[in-house]
Amino acid sequence: MSLLLQIIVNGILLGGLYSLMALGLALVWGVLNIVNLAHGAFIMLGAYASYYLFTLLNVDPFAALPLCMLVVFACGFVLQRYVLNLIVRAPMFNTLLITFGIDVVLTYLAQIVFSADFRVVNPSYAGANFTLLGTTIPLVRALAFAMAIALTLTVWLVLGHTRLGRAVRACAQNLVAARLYGVEPRTVYALTFAMGAALAGAAGDLYGVVSQINPYIGDPLTAKSFAISIIGGLENPLGVVVGGLFLGILESLTSLYIGSTYTDVASFGVLVLVLITRPRGLLGKTT
Amino acid sequence: MKRLLCYAIAMFALFNHARAEPIITLGASVQETGRLANTGRYYRDGYDLAVRTINERGGVKVGTERYQLALKILDNQSDVNLSVRQYTQLLTQDKVNFLLGPFASDFALADSSASEKYEVPMIEGGGASDQIFSRGYKYIFGTLPVASKYFESTVQAMSKLEPIPKTVALLYADDAFDVAVAKGTRELLQNTGFRITQDERYSSNASDFSTLISQIKAAVPDAVLVAGHETEVLNFIRQAKSLDFSPKLYSFTVGVPTADFRLALGRDGNFAFGMTSWLPSASQKDDYFTNAQMFAEEYKKRFGYEPDYHAASAVADVETFVKAIESAASLDPKKVRDAIARIDFESLYGRVQFSEVGQINLPQTVVQVYSDTVIPIYGPKGFINKPRYPMPPWDKRP
Repeated sequence: MSLLLQIIVNGILLGGLYSLMALGLALVWGVLNIVNLAHGAFIMLGAYASYYLFTLLNVDPFAALPLCMLVVFACGFVLQRYVLNLIVRAPMFNTLLITFGIDVVLTYLAQIVFSADFRVVNPSYAGANFTLLGTTIPLVRALAFAMAIALTLTVWLVLGHTRLGRAVRACAQNLVAARLYGVEPRTVYALTFAMGAALAGAAGDLYGVVSQINPYIGDPLTAKSFAISIIGGLENPLGVVVGGLFLGILESLTSLYIGSTYTDVASFGVLVLVLITRPRGLLGKTT
Repeated sequence: MKRLLCYAIAMFALFNHARAEPIITLGASVQETGRLANTGRYYRDGYDLAVRTINERGGVKVGTERYQLALKILDNQSDVNLSVRQYTQLLTQDKVNFLLGPFASDFALADSSASEKYEVPMIEGGGASDQIFSRGYKYIFGTLPVASKYFESTVQAMSKLEPIPKTVALLYADDAFDVAVAKGTRELLQNTGFRITQDERYSSNASDFSTLISQIKAAVPDAVLVAGHETEVLNFIRQAKSLDFSPKLYSFTVGVPTADFRLALGRDGNFAFGMTSWLPSASQKDDYFTNAQMFAEEYKKRFGYEPDYHAASAVADVETFVKAIESAASLDPKKVRDAIARIDFESLYGRVQFSEVGQINLPQTVVQVYSDTVIPIYGPKGFINKPRYPMPPWDKRP
């Protein structure tokens, strides 16, 4: 029983990190209708930003979170404003190709600049843990979980209760009407994409503390984020948290009862099921 | 006047042609980019340094004629399908004379089909899986120890430790090399009397081990043996610490002897056991680099990072071709292939001699990391240094 509890706790904490990874992808997909295949590359850039801030300037990775977000926000803004805006209303296949190209370029640039060496962000508390109800809770994962929830709530509040959020939602719902009300779509799109990138940067910052970093970590993280976005739904940021937690727990239980080689089969099997039964995600509308 | 000039140009070209030494080209497809680039560089740089050094020492003597070595390296981007196509290209379009191998068993397994098809020998130092050498192929030779025996010296050392570990958890990735390691280790453990508490396979490139570690922790094994890749080893150790899991001993097939491992983990890397088929020892003599230590110094000076057994194995592959070509006194692939099969010489990597199936028989030395140093612990003649065993719990570590 205590093993099962530990596995569920592991799954919840893993799900928190997953949620944060997927949040930016879901935001960009939901608003701009762009499936950003370079999302994992943005996570990788955030992780490297955190690594260099930690090793060169001794900045704690949690304190570095806003800086990492800012660095990747800037990358995202420039890319959207001067590249993706040119094809934002093109068929989805075109945007897929462009973001795939950006992913390849960023990954290979990262290898040239950072080398293929494995890096970790290893503050003194990286391996710290505490015991709760007989389960061992890794401190960093718990903090990452809290951070994921806090950032999700922030996104939810921004989208629902700010002028920028209303402009973003207006562009997603009716572009012509938004323009008539004075919204400048190009800037709104660039800001939305940059916000998605910044969230990826935050995920990368925390990912470096729990895992290793190299230029090639991005692609599996994009795939995972994609699955979570589908499972949770794109209509509500809270759906991403539900999707992330669902996937984290599912993978942990699959590993326990079936075998760890089957975790991806379970994840993507559920993705197919959700697409068939609830195409708008677990928290999406059924019609 | 015009005719005289033509004669002069023709004579110059003829003279230059006569003076240039003929070339033997070795071709290889290695992982210069992609997820395996970190290890692929050892092969690119090892081949490069070996070719340069051998050329500086006079090149290759084929009968009465001296040849220079040339290297044709293609980047397979860590894509096994591209790698097979590139080896075919090297043989059919680039017309290289002989083949050097890629990194990793699944690549060598696929790429060796090209060398077999075109009957051109390939010597590879990057694939150890028994599967590569169990298909009756005649043109593939390997200089990494047999995968199924990777943990042999570790299991021998474990049986001589005090207190002796009784229970073992075995964890391995689902690729050709690690599956072969697990198969051999399973038999070794059973034959030596250890009880296996877990025998778990995981997906290659997995990044989350929290569930597996929790399962293993619940079974309280004395030792954990992990056959995987360096990225997985780093994640495993970090997550073991964060879940407060510290068995009496854990050992890993790869990663532990590398500088990357110590740099990435710092003190958290202490006490980890691993293995290597090569150590940069001055007593390991070599015809081209004088000895293994001098090779390691030259390598680090040129490339800016320490070589490990992958790089030494890559150099041994080039040296083996040189010795075999000189012995065969021919560039005919079949004659060179037969000469490789008969080869027996001491290199910086160790004694190069192939079994009937084409694989070297080198013992692994058990090593342990402590205080940013890789310490040899157990070799073919027994304990070399006292192991730090049992590993202290994480909160009691210095």
